[in-house]
Amino acid sequence: MSTRPASWGRWTYYGINGCILGFLLGPLIVVAIFSLNPTPYIQFPPVGVTLRWYEKFFASHEFMNSLWLSFRIAAAVVVLSSLIGACAALALARGRLPGARFLAALFLAPLMLPAILTGLALFQLLLTFDVGRPTWALVIGHTLVAVPYVIRTTIAVLADFDRSIEEAAAVLGASPVRVFFEVTLPIIRPGIIAGGIFAFIVSFDQFPISLFLVAPNNETLPIVMFNYMKFELDGAIAAASMVSILLALAVVLAIDRLVGLRATMKM
Amino acid sequence: MLQLTRRSLLQSAVAGAAASLGAPWVARAEAATLRITTWGGKWGEVMKGQVLPAFEREYNCKVEADQAFPYLPKLQASPRNAPIYDVLHANSNEQWQAAVAGLVMEKITAKEVPNIKDVYPYAISERMAGVSIFTSAIGLGYRTDKGLTSPKSWKDLADPKFAGQRGGYQIPVNSLGQAHLLLLGQLYGKGMTDLEAAYKALEQLKPIKLVDFTGQMEKMLLQGEVVLCVIHDSGIYRYDGQNQPIDFAAPAEGVLSLEQVLNVTPGTKVKELAFAYIDYMLRPDVQKQLAEAVWYSPSNKNVKLDARYDAKLYNTPEKVAKLIQVDWKWYNDRKDQIDARVARIMRG
Repeated sequence: MSTRPASWGRWTYYGINGCILGFLLGPLIVVAIFSLNPTPYIQFPPVGVTLRWYEKFFASHEFMNSLWLSFRIAAAVVVLSSLIGACAALALARGRLPGARFLAALFLAPLMLPAILTGLALFQLLLTFDVGRPTWALVIGHTLVAVPYVIRTTIAVLADFDRSIEEAAAVLGASPVRVFFEVTLPIIRPGIIAGGIFAFIVSFDQFPISLFLVAPNNETLPIVMFNYMKFELDGAIAAASMVSILLALAVVLAIDRLVGLRATMKM
Repeated sequence: MLQLTRRSLLQSAVAGAAASLGAPWVARAEAATLRITTWGGKWGEVMKGQVLPAFEREYNCKVEADQAFPYLPKLQASPRNAPIYDVLHANSNEQWQAAVAGLVMEKITAKEVPNIKDVYPYAISERMAGVSIFTSAIGLGYRTDKGLTSPKSWKDLADPKFAGQRGGYQIPVNSLGQAHLLLLGQLYGKGMTDLEAAYKALEQLKPIKLVDFTGQMEKMLLQGEVVLCVIHDSGIYRYDGQNQPIDFAAPAEGVLSLEQVLNVTPGTKVKELAFAYIDYMLRPDVQKQLAEAVWYSPSNKNVKLDARYDAKLYNTPEKVAKLIQVDWKWYNDRKDQIDARVARIMRG
């Protein structure tokens, strides 16, 4: 009798978690089924299993070029946004900057503006300077919307930062540069890495900004997928989605292993 | 050792990304460049694989084909004297929006594009801003495995037995939906400008399944989610020979014309090349190649299609006479009010 409330609570807990998982993973499962189903449309229950849509995806130069481009851009965005975001976060949290509040709002502005307007504004800027639509413009556009994530995650870490550790290092003779690289950076690293992971995902899946900035034969994966869907809607698009998701996951895990997010989070 | 490996790996990744992103800067073509818009899918494959390389060889130029929508906002955002495109490929409604805004020429004649002398009149009619290089026929697609006979009239779509199983389009964003709305005015009212009759008829089509793109409609028909729908012939014929239980019906009242229109931007720096490109796209051999790849009806009267395509596409004066062209300029002038009214009807 006394165990009933606990048991009921546990099942409720499992039920709620199951619902949340189902809500999050349901669309992925549908896409996965579609990508393996032989019919060129969504059919449930599936009539078989095939890899033909994956073959079509990997055999397509257009898909492969766009996948590689998206990957390169996202890698560049991670580096740039981490550098800019971390520096900005330090300045905003630590520095006695005039107009710090305004600057904080300015850095977050790209998240508040509709991204399509940011894309259009950048597009017009490129036309004004007559530089075409180079790849670096895509990097800049993506970085603009990725930087706020790094700033937020880094500022969150800085909020709990015990500055007496830095003071101790300085008192013991460490130069400001050394204090930064050996004390400050290791402590704020989880924030920067978490922001970098967000930056990768934001860039890799970026659509509205890329819409205006991609150039012919230099299109990112989400743009190629969107255009493909306007004319074809077969399983190749599901295969592209699955590859995109798995690749993003693999990169997040790789970043974790390479720079040790999990390890630093445990600190 | 681990530290060194990590660092070197990260350094290589950063250096590699920087180097590869910088690569497009290395060289810019010296030859004249023609910047065009074009479709994706099978059309894009044939264009990029065969049609455009042949044009580049013949005219010793480079073609930059933009396949990433939306074309019109990009063109609007670019300076008039240095437009981002030299040739705009769009459907007729969008081409008219561009023409009204002065972004493309209003008329193209045989003087600039000699092959225009061989096109069917619809391709350069007063309903055109530019020249139509192909058209599709918008009619009714239906399932052949549900005991249905081939629909004879557009009015069959309103049959109560198709409630919830008929398919149409989100009118604000789809030109097939827009053309069909105007046709409803002609079928149930005084003509294609009788919007009140069209709205009333649209109300009668509820419940109806609506999609944004024709590709989605194809899939809904293939899945059996809809058994009868508004669709263009190429969206059905592309499955020809694949043993799918779907077919296209041309209603007795005529079929709506979904034109593929080319036009030149007035500010282009390569006007001669732009006209040459349109002329090239109207050549019988190029028209045949594309028509048979994507099941579009060619505009050039001299195109000889293989029997399989000849039987179905609109390539004779008799067949072409059945095409109904929409006055897109008239429609675009009223688009906002139409969208608002349609939204109310569909919500209600």
